[in-house]
Amino acid sequence: MNVAARALPTGATSIPRNIVLPLLVAAAVIGVVGCGFVGLAPNRLVSGRPVMLWNAAGAGFIAVLTACAATLLAVGFAAPRRALAYFAAAVAGTAIIIVIAAAGDAAAILSVGAPPAARISLGAGFWIVLSCAGLALIDALQRSDAAAVSRLIVAAVVAGAFVALARAGMFDALSLAREYTTRREVFAAAVLRHVVLVAASVGPALLIGVPLGLAALRRQRFEAPLFAVLNLLQTVPSIALFGLLIVPLSALTKAMPALAELGIGGVGPTPAIIALVLYALLPIARNTLAGIGGVSPAAIDAARGMGMTGRQVFWQVEVPLALPVLIAGLRIVTVQAIGLAVVAALIGAGGLGSFVFDGLGQYATDLVLLGALPAIFLALAVDFLLRLLAAALSRRYAA
Amino acid sequence: MSPQSRAAEAPIVVASKIDTEGSLLGELIAAVIERTGAPVERRIGLGPTNIVRAALLSGQVDIYPEYTGNGALFFHREADPAWKDATKGYDLVAALDKQQNDLAWLTPAPADNTWVIAIRKDLKGFPPRPCVGDLAAYLKNGGRFRLAASAEFVESSAALPAFESAYGFHLSGDQLLTLSGGNTAATLRAAAEQISGVNAAMAYGTDGAIAALGLAALCDDKHAQVVYAPAPVIRASVLDQHPVIGPALDRVFATLTREKLQALNARIAVDGEDARSVAEDYLKTAQVQP
Repeated sequence: MNVAARALPTGATSIPRNIVLPLLVAAAVIGVVGCGFVGLAPNRLVSGRPVMLWNAAGAGFIAVLTACAATLLAVGFAAPRRALAYFAAAVAGTAIIIVIAAAGDAAAILSVGAPPAARISLGAGFWIVLSCAGLALIDALQRSDAAAVSRLIVAAVVAGAFVALARAGMFDALSLAREYTTRREVFAAAVLRHVVLVAASVGPALLIGVPLGLAALRRQRFEAPLFAVLNLLQTVPSIALFGLLIVPLSALTKAMPALAELGIGGVGPTPAIIALVLYALLPIARNTLAGIGGVSPAAIDAARGMGMTGRQVFWQVEVPLALPVLIAGLRIVTVQAIGLAVVAALIGAGGLGSFVFDGLGQYATDLVLLGALPAIFLALAVDFLLRLLAAALSRRYAA
Repeated sequence: MSPQSRAAEAPIVVASKIDTEGSLLGELIAAVIERTGAPVERRIGLGPTNIVRAALLSGQVDIYPEYTGNGALFFHREADPAWKDATKGYDLVAALDKQQNDLAWLTPAPADNTWVIAIRKDLKGFPPRPCVGDLAAYLKNGGRFRLAASAEFVESSAALPAFESAYGFHLSGDQLLTLSGGNTAATLRAAAEQISGVNAAMAYGTDGAIAALGLAALCDDKHAQVVYAPAPVIRASVLDQHPVIGPALDRVFATLTREKLQALNARIAVDGEDARSVAEDYLKTAQVQP
C-alpha cells in the first residue's frame, strides 16, 4: 500500500492519508443520528425530550453541515499539502459556526407555539458535533504548521462570528441565552471578578513560589521539607481550605479594624485569594526547581568560562533556558486557579461560581453552564496564549 | 471621623444564603431598606448557612434572612420542644441571639420552610388536601411508595423519624432513595419524572417547584417537624441607627404566606426570573408599602 501511495504522490488513495478527519466525521455522524441535537422541556426544572437535528434546524444549516462533513472526509483521503490543511481549517471553522447557529435556529423554530415556560437546551448531538468540529480545526492547524499569528486570527474570526450571531439574536430562544438575559447586568461583573481573583492570586504566587523553588535548588536539605508542606497543602480539599481561612481572617480583621476598611475580611475575596495562592505554590516551586535545575551544566560552565558573574549566569543563561518549563508552570497554575476560583463563590468571593452554585441549587443545567462555559473558555484562552508565548520565547532564544 | 458618623454613612450590608429563597428574601430586604432611604450594599448568595452566620457574627454583614428553627443548630439545643412551635421557637431564638450576640430578629413571615413530604398528585387513595396521616393509611393498605430524600432527612431524628413516630408508619430501605445532598430540586425532579420508581420527594414547605412539577405537599397537622419561619436578622447596633427599617420589614414579611413564597420562589426556580426583579415586582404589584 505504501508503494501505491508513493506511486500516486498527488492523487487520492483508497486509504485515508489523515485518519483523524474521517474518524471525527464518523463520530459526528453517529452523534447526530444517535442523540438529540436539542432538548425541549416544558419548564426549566424537568429534563427535555430530545429532538433530532433534522426535526429541529432549518434545511440550509443541515445542507452546509453535510457539505462541511463531506469536504473534511475528502480532505482526509487527499495527499497532505500545506494549502489543503489551511482549507480544512477554514471548513472546520465554518462547521463550528454553523453548528452553533443551527442550534440557535432549532431553538427559534421549536419555541414558536411553545408555552413561555418551555426551555430548549443544547443536546448531546450538538456537543458531539461541536467537539468534532473543534478537534478537526485543531488537527488542521497543527498539520498546516501555522504560525502563531494565523492561529490567533482563526480564533478571532470564530469568536467574532459567534459574537456577531449573538448580537443578531440568533441564540435568543436557547435556554442558555435566556439564563444570560436575566443576568445580563451581573454577568460582565462576574467574569471580571473571576479574572481579578485569578490574577490577584497568580501574581503573589509567583513572587513567593519562584524564590521557594530557587531556595530548594540552592540548599538541598531545604527541598524535602518544603515540598512535603506544599504537597500537603495541595491535598486539602478546596472547599475545606476556603472554609478554614474564615475564622483566623475574621479574628484578624476584628483585632485590626483598619484591614476591614481596606475590604479585607474573613468572607469574600480575601480568603479565596489566599487559598488560590497556596494551591499555586506547589506547581510554581516545582517547575522553578525542574526548569532551572534542568539547565545543562555544560551551558553554565561555558558561561562561567566566558567570564560571566553568578548574576549574569542566572539571568542570561539559566532563566532563558528554563523559560519554557517556567511558563508551563505558570500555565498549569493559571488554568488551575480559574477552575478553583469557581468554588470560591461558596465563601462569598463571587465570580462565575455564583452562577454554577445557583444553577446546582435550582437543578438548572443551563445556569450551571452559564458559569462553567466562560470558565472553560477563559482556561482555554489562557492556555492558548501562554503556549504561544512559550513557543515565541523558545524560538527567540534558539535563534 | 467618629465611629458614629462613619457608621451613618456606611451602607447597610444585606446578605443571603446561596439558594433560591435566600436570594428572594435577601433582595426583598435590600429593596425595602433602599425605600427607607438608607444606602445598601448587596452580598446576596454569600454562601451556605455557616458562612453567612459567621459573617453576621463578625460584623461583615449587617442583616440577612434566617429561619427560626436553625436556632436549634446555632445554640446546640436540638432537644428543646420550643422549635416545633412557631411563636415559642421565634421567642427563644430572638432572646438567645439578643442576649449572646446582640442580634435582633424582626417579625417572621407567616410561613414555614420546614421539611415536607411531597407526593405525586396522581397517587390513588389520597384526599384533595392530603396530610401525612393519609400517607400512613396508604402505606397500611399496601400502597406502592418510594421517597427520594437526603441522607440527613432519613437519618436526623428531627426529620423522617419524627414523622414516622408521630403518624405511626415506617419506611423500609427499598421505599427510600437516599441522595447525599439536601438539594430538593433533585428529589422533586426524581418524583416528577418517576426516576427509579420514585413517587414522592422530600421538599421544603415553601419550595416553588412543588406545584409546577405536579406534586402536592402533605400537611403536618400533628406538628411533628421543627418550624422554620424566615425572618430578617439584623445587628442591633445597625437597627438602632436606622430604626425605620424594623417596622418597614415587618410590614412586608407579614404578607409572605406560604402560598406567596411558593409562587415567588417558582418565578425564580421554574420560570428562571432574576431574584432582584421578582422582589422589586412584588413590592410594586402587591401594593405592599414598606
